Amino acid sequence: MERRGRSAVVSAVALVAGVLAAAPAAAQTCPVKIGGVLPLTGSMAPITKKIAQAAELAIEHVNAGGGVKGCPVQFILRDDQGQPTVGVDAAKYLVEVERVPAFTGTISSGVTGPIIASVTAPSKVVQITCCSTASPFTLDGRSGGYFFRTIPTSKTQAYATASETARRGMKKTVVVYINTDFGTDMLRFYKAAVAKLGGEVIAEVPYNDNQPSYRAEVTKALAAKPESLLLIGFPKDAVTIVREWLSLGGTKSIALNNSMRTMDFVNGVGAKFVEDVFGMDNAQVAGPHVDAFNKAFEEKFQADTKGPGVHTQYDALMVMALAMNISKDLTGPSIKDAVRRVHVPNGTPVGTGPAEFKKAVELIKAGKPIKYFGATGPIEFDANGDVTGPALVWKIKDGQIVTDRSITIEDMQTLFKRVEN
Amino acid sequence: MISYLVFFACIVLILSLLTLGLNLQWGFTGLFNAGVVGFYAIGAYTHAILTASPQPQYLGNFGLPWLVGVLAAMAATALAGWLIGLVTIRLRGDYLAIATFGVAVSIQLVTLNWEPLTGGSQGLTRIGKPFAQLFETPFGFNLWFLGLMIVILGTTYWALDRVLLSPWGRVLKAIREDETAAVALGKSARRFRLEAFVLGSTLMGLAGALYVSFIGFVSPFDFLPIVTFQVWAMLIVGGSGNNRGAVLGALVVWGIWAGSGVAVTKLVPPSRAAQGAAIQVILIGLLLVLVLLFRPRGLIGEAAVVSRHVND
Amino acid sequence: MIQALADGILTGAIIALGAIGVTFTLGIMRFANFAHSELLTWGAYIALVVVAFAGPGTPTGPLSFGWQLLAAALVAAVLTGFAAWAVDVLVFRRLRRRGALPLTMVFAAFGAALVMRHLIVLIWGHESRYYTRELQLAVELLPGARMLPDQIFILGLALAAMIVLHAFLAWSRTGIAMRAMAESPALAQVCGVEVDAVVRLTWIISGALAAFAGVFTGLTPQLHPEIGFNLLLSLFAAAILGGTGSLAGAVVGGFLVGLGENLSLLVISPGYKGAMPFLLLLVILIVRPQGIFGDKA
Repeated sequence: MERRGRSAVVSAVALVAGVLAAAPAAAQTCPVKIGGVLPLTGSMAPITKKIAQAAELAIEHVNAGGGVKGCPVQFILRDDQGQPTVGVDAAKYLVEVERVPAFTGTISSGVTGPIIASVTAPSKVVQITCCSTASPFTLDGRSGGYFFRTIPTSKTQAYATASETARRGMKKTVVVYINTDFGTDMLRFYKAAVAKLGGEVIAEVPYNDNQPSYRAEVTKALAAKPESLLLIGFPKDAVTIVREWLSLGGTKSIALNNSMRTMDFVNGVGAKFVEDVFGMDNAQVAGPHVDAFNKAFEEKFQADTKGPGVHTQYDALMVMALAMNISKDLTGPSIKDAVRRVHVPNGTPVGTGPAEFKKAVELIKAGKPIKYFGATGPIEFDANGDVTGPALVWKIKDGQIVTDRSITIEDMQTLFKRVEN
Repeated sequence: MISYLVFFACIVLILSLLTLGLNLQWGFTGLFNAGVVGFYAIGAYTHAILTASPQPQYLGNFGLPWLVGVLAAMAATALAGWLIGLVTIRLRGDYLAIATFGVAVSIQLVTLNWEPLTGGSQGLTRIGKPFAQLFETPFGFNLWFLGLMIVILGTTYWALDRVLLSPWGRVLKAIREDETAAVALGKSARRFRLEAFVLGSTLMGLAGALYVSFIGFVSPFDFLPIVTFQVWAMLIVGGSGNNRGAVLGALVVWGIWAGSGVAVTKLVPPSRAAQGAAIQVILIGLLLVLVLLFRPRGLIGEAAVVSRHVND
Repeated sequence: MIQALADGILTGAIIALGAIGVTFTLGIMRFANFAHSELLTWGAYIALVVVAFAGPGTPTGPLSFGWQLLAAALVAAVLTGFAAWAVDVLVFRRLRRRGALPLTMVFAAFGAALVMRHLIVLIWGHESRYYTRELQLAVELLPGARMLPDQIFILGLALAAMIVLHAFLAWSRTGIAMRAMAESPALAQVCGVEVDAVVRLTWIISGALAAFAGVFTGLTPQLHPEIGFNLLLSLFAAAILGGTGSLAGAVVGGFLVGLGENLSLLVISPGYKGAMPFLLLLVILIVRPQGIFGDKA
C-alpha cells in the first residue's frame, strides 16, 4: 500500500509536469502568441461558437495582413467551462507558460472578474473582452488600466433602449431580466433613463438562467397586468420565456436586448409571432468596414454574423494586433498604452479585413497615426477602457432581422446628457 | 513556467484543505455532505465582506486585516456548520446529501441576491491579501502564499492526524463502523457526528477565506455545485479515510482538469476548439469512471487499523 | 394563484416521470444515479432523430404535433431503456460485482453523466433544436388558469403511464419481484427473485420513463444538451421527498416540487426559486426523515 501510494504520487507529478513540459519554453521571437479564454463548453457555449469563429477569422486576417512585427500570430485558445477557477487557471497558464503579453476573454463576468483581479492586473498584461459588460470592471480602477472591452457598457444599451421604448410610447412595462451582473446593470440604468425619458416600469422579475421552464416567472410578470415587456437575457432562455409569455396571453409589444439579434431567437420563437418586437444592438448599422467583416465571416463559416459578441470579438483581436504593432515592444505596459493609439483623431482611417490590416501595418511602420474602424464601427476607448459606440434599433420583418433606425454617436451623447444632466 | 506551477500548487493546496475537511466528515465519520461548496462560500464571503476595501454602496467591506478575516471566516463557518448540523445530522446517507446540497444551493442564491452585502452578481473585489504590499511581482506574492499554504496545510494535516489518533478520533471511526456498539459503550453518536461535521466545515470555511484572499475577487459564480463535485471526486479518487489520499486526490484531479485543457489546446487547432473542449470533458468523465473501476477504493485506500494486541 | 397551481401541476407531471427512475435506482440499486438526467436528454434527442425522418406530423386537433411525434417518443423510450441498461452493463454492474460502495457508484454515475452529456454536444452541437415550430395559445381552462392543449395532453399521458406502471408493480410477478428487491435485496434473493432480470427491467423502465420526460420537456419548447441536467436537482428532490423506492412517493414528490417552485414565487423573489425544492425537502425531512412514503429503516 505504502509503495503504491508513493508511485501514485510520482506518476501524478510526472503527469502534470509532462503535460506542462510539452509547452515550449517562452521566447519572444516568431511566432507571436496571443491568448484567448472563452467558455467553449458549459451553459454559455451556444453563443460562444460564433464568437470563437470571429476570433479565428480575426487571427486569419491579421496573419494574412502581415502579422505582428513581421511575425505570424499564433492564437492559443483555452476553455474556461464557465467556471471561475478553470478560467483563472487558463489565463494564468497563458500568461506564465505561454508568455502571452495580451489575451482576449471572456464572456461571463463571474469568470472575467477573478481573472482581472489575479492575473491581468498583477501581471500587467492586456486583456480585451468582447462580452463582459459588468460596469465596475472598468470604473473602479481595479485593473490598473489593463482591461479593455470592445462592447459598450450596459449603460449605453440601457439608455438607448429607454429612448426607444419612450419614442414608441410603451407604457406599463414589466422588465424580465437575467439575474446576473448584465441583467441587474441593464435594469438599473434602464429605470434611471425611463424616469427622465418617459414610460414606467410596473414590475421587475429576475430569472436565473438554465431552467427547464419559466412559467412561474412569466406568470408572476403577467400578474402585474403589463402592456409591454422588456426582456433582458440570452437567446436560449429567452426563446422559452417569450413562447411561454405569448402562449399565456402576454402582449406582443416586446423590447429585447442585443443578444436576441440572432436568427436562433427569431426561428426559435417563430418569426410570425414576433412581428411586433424590436431590440437594440451596439453595432454600427452599415458601412464598408462592417460589410467587409460580415462578408468575410459569411464566406468562411457559411453562417450570418448576427449574434452576441461576434463583431466585438473580431474587433477585440484586431485592436490587440494593431496595438501590438504600434507598441515599441511586446510587453503588457507598452501594449496597454498602444491600445489607445489605434484610433487617433487625425489618423488615416483603416478598416477590417487583411488588406486594410496590411495598410495599417505599413502606416505604423512609417510612423504615421491610424484610425481604426472595426466591425462595430469606430473603436475609441475612453479613459476607463470602455467604448461608446453608436446603437441601432432592429425589428423583424418577413422572418428576417432588419435595421429599423440607427442612433449615431452624436445622438447617443445627447441622450447621455439628457439622462445624466 | 515556475510561476505557473507555484500558482497551480497554491490552488491544489487550497483544494486539499477542502478535501481534508470532507475527509473528516465522510472518510472518518461517514457523513455524506454534498454541500461542501456552501461552507466554502460562507468562509469566502465572510472574509471578503470583512477585509475588502470600503465602498459606499456596500454594507460590508470593512477593510479589516487579513488575519481577522480568516479567523472570522472559520468562526462563521463553524457556527453555520453547527446550525446546519443540528437540523440535518440525524438524516442518513442520501437524505443528508440532498439536504446539505439544498443548503449549499440556498447559500449560493443568498450571495447572488443579497446585493447590499455581497455585491450580488457583480461580486466583491480588493479583498484582503496577506502582506500583499510587501511584494512587487505576482510571482513573489504567489511564492510567499505557497509557503503560507504549506504551513497551514501542514499544520492542519498534523493536527488532524493527532486528533484522529486521539480517543475522540477512535470513537468517530467506531461510530462509523458500528454505531450500535459505540452507543452501547456510552458514546453519544449524535454529539460526535456533529462535532466532526463542525470541524470539517470549519476547514472548508478556512479554504474559502484563503481562496478569495489568494484571488482577490469573489462572486456567486465561484460557488456552483460543480465545485462540490470536484472536491468529492478528489476524495474518492485519492482514497477516502486517508488524509494522504485526500491531498493526492486534489493534486491528481485538479492536475487532470487543468492539464487536459492544455493537452487539448496543444493537440486541437483553434478552429476545432469547441469540439476539443467537449472531448476534454468526456475524457475527464471517462478517467473518473476508469479510476473507480480499477481502483474502487481510490489511489490510496484507507490504512487498515489493527489493534496492537491482536497477536497477543 | 390558480395559474400558479396549474403551472405547478404541469411542471410536476414531468418531474414525476423523471423522478420515478431516480427513486427506482435509489431503492433497488441503492445508489443515487446522477446520470439519470442524461437519459432524459438522450431520450429527447433520439426522438429528434426519428422526427427528423418522419417529421413532427401535421398538428392533430388542438395539438401542435401529430402521431409521428408520439411514435418517436415510443421509439425513444425503447432505445433509451436499453441505453440505460447498457450503461449499467458497462459501468455499474462491473462496480457492483467488485463490491463497490454506493458512493463509488454515485461518482461513477457523475463520470458517466459527463461523458453522456458531452457526447450529445459532439454529435448535435450546443444549438437549440425543435420538434415543431408551432406556437400554441393557451386556453382558459378555469377562470384565471390558462393551459396549453399540448400540456394537458402530456399531463394525461404522464398520468396514464404512472397508472400502468402502478398496475404492473401491484399485480405482475415481475413487478412484485421489483418491489421485493426495493424492500430488501437479500430477502428477495433468498425467495428466488432473479436479481439480474429485475435489475435489467428496472433500468429499461427507468430509461423509458426518462425518455418520455425528456421528449415532453423538449416540446416546451426546445432541446439543448443540458435539458436533462437542468432538471436533475428537481428530480432528486422529488424522489427523496416522496421516499426512495416508492412509485407513489416519486409521483407525489414530483407534484409537490412542481407546485412548490410555482407557488413560492407568489411570496418570494424569483431569484430564490432554485432553493424552493430543497427548503420544501428540508421541512419534510425534519418532520418525516424517511420521506412521505418511505418506510422507517
